[in-house]
Amino acid sequence: MAMWGKDPRVSVRYPGRMEVEKYVYTPGLHGLELAKALKEGRLIGTRCGDTIYFPPTTFCPDHAMGEPVEIKGPWIVEAYTVVREDSSSRRLDKPVVIAYITPLDAEGGLIHYVEASEEEIAPGIEVEPVFAPPEKRKGTIRDILYFKVKNSAQE
Amino acid sequence: MKPNIFVKDRVAVVGAGITLFRRRLLETPRELAWEAASMALESAGLTLRDIDCIVIGSAPDAFDGVHMKGEYLADGSGGVFKPTVRVYVGGGTGVFVPIAAWWHVASGHCDTVLAVAEEKMSPAHPHPQGVFAYIWDPILERPLGPNLIWIFALEMRRYMHKCGVKKETIAKVSVKNKRNALDHPAAQAAARITVEDVLKSEVLVWPVQRLDISPVSDGAAALVLARENVARRVTDSPVWVEGVGFTLDNTHWYNRELAYPRYVNYAARMAYKMAGIERPWKEIDVAEPYDPFDYKELHHIEGLMLARPCEAPKLLEEGWFDRSGELPTSPSGGLLGVGNPIAAAGLMKVAELFWQLRYEAGARQVKKPVHLGVAQAWGDLMQAGTVIVLGN
Repeated sequence: MAMWGKDPRVSVRYPGRMEVEKYVYTPGLHGLELAKALKEGRLIGTRCGDTIYFPPTTFCPDHAMGEPVEIKGPWIVEAYTVVREDSSSRRLDKPVVIAYITPLDAEGGLIHYVEASEEEIAPGIEVEPVFAPPEKRKGTIRDILYFKVKNSAQE
Repeated sequence: MKPNIFVKDRVAVVGAGITLFRRRLLETPRELAWEAASMALESAGLTLRDIDCIVIGSAPDAFDGVHMKGEYLADGSGGVFKPTVRVYVGGGTGVFVPIAAWWHVASGHCDTVLAVAEEKMSPAHPHPQGVFAYIWDPILERPLGPNLIWIFALEMRRYMHKCGVKKETIAKVSVKNKRNALDHPAAQAAARITVEDVLKSEVLVWPVQRLDISPVSDGAAALVLARENVARRVTDSPVWVEGVGFTLDNTHWYNRELAYPRYVNYAARMAYKMAGIERPWKEIDVAEPYDPFDYKELHHIEGLMLARPCEAPKLLEEGWFDRSGELPTSPSGGLLGVGNPIAAAGLMKVAELFWQLRYEAGARQVKKPVHLGVAQAWGDLMQAGTVIVLGN
């Protein structure tokens, strides 16, 4: 509590340092399956009865064990945004398009980069994942480099 | 028995589950919660659909490295679209989880509660001890660079001095608990060791040595609690929550007698009063005192009034606290033997009472007939005391 009438400026400081330098997470049971699939350039979800969920989970909403199942899309942009400044308020040379993308063959979706111009990107358009070359895949979500707009810019 | 007329419903534990306790498990924290919860439901013969409310317990978010762990653990604990809370009183959390579950039911608010405690300590690097650095006063203590073991070394030394206890005696707690844990299927640090081994293990902060301390662990445990009419429908052998108690002392731990844990004693008195227990040293048949360090078990036995102050070491020497003894303590193997995933370790102790009181503990079952058991945990800087009394 500040004392009224006293100079509130601080002349002594007590430095503190976070002693946990980093975290190392384990992928979990479903995460291990997903990592394997990503390395193979595939995406998997979880079948719980009649419903398929993406991203995969080990357990279903009723706590029964789920079953891994391949997700093939098509992938639809549900919502998007364009990032113009990074977290340190620095202007980006090239705006980054981020989208919430859902597969039509499952409940749920994911957030990822979309390689598209601001004119191209729109809710409802179809996109598809572009994977890193097999030798560069590490079993993480970044094995998908980005999603690209389907039908346009297709070589 | 002196029933509390203000409590609406009698509450029973009807199921329990536990994961393996290990240094590093593949499972995510959510998956650990799910495994323990599923086991507890299965043991109660119930499904998630039968559960009204969820109580989750987990110690600092900084262990798992996930912010707002209660919310994070909700789906694994079965808490999606149900009234769900997370409770947290440091190391005392594990026993606080069934206490909170008890009042959910006793108040008449929920018929059934799934109570889940989870801790994954392995993600924090270089060592989860770093998480504890923030329990110190940032002005008077942190500049000295303390760690947790310093303080317990001081407390242990004070207890040894005040009660005239030798390290050889204290080491026997570690020997007993690690041996008991050989029969626990989830155990991480079960071993057949001798007093010699403890005394020869690496000195960390004198008088605390490597084998005086419980390990760092990942794991989860869960219970199902239900009100009387539901409990009687789902099982022939409900285990009743007879008493609950919880208190906080001050974090200024240097302003008190370190040789006696008043934070436990006050909580114990509250729980015994509710349970109508006047002579706990005679009436309690089996105890699970919190044992992250070996001397702590003796300390807490005295706080729980299962022995007079400074009397626990003598009784230990006589085999009083062995599984075949007069008052078996930590028949599970305790934190020293089973492992110490903070919140899950406390709930493991309550789960052990459940199994003991149903005579389902198998090789761990204590020799004497059991009617009443007490479990206890402590949290933060010898501050939070949580106590639960169960009966069959």
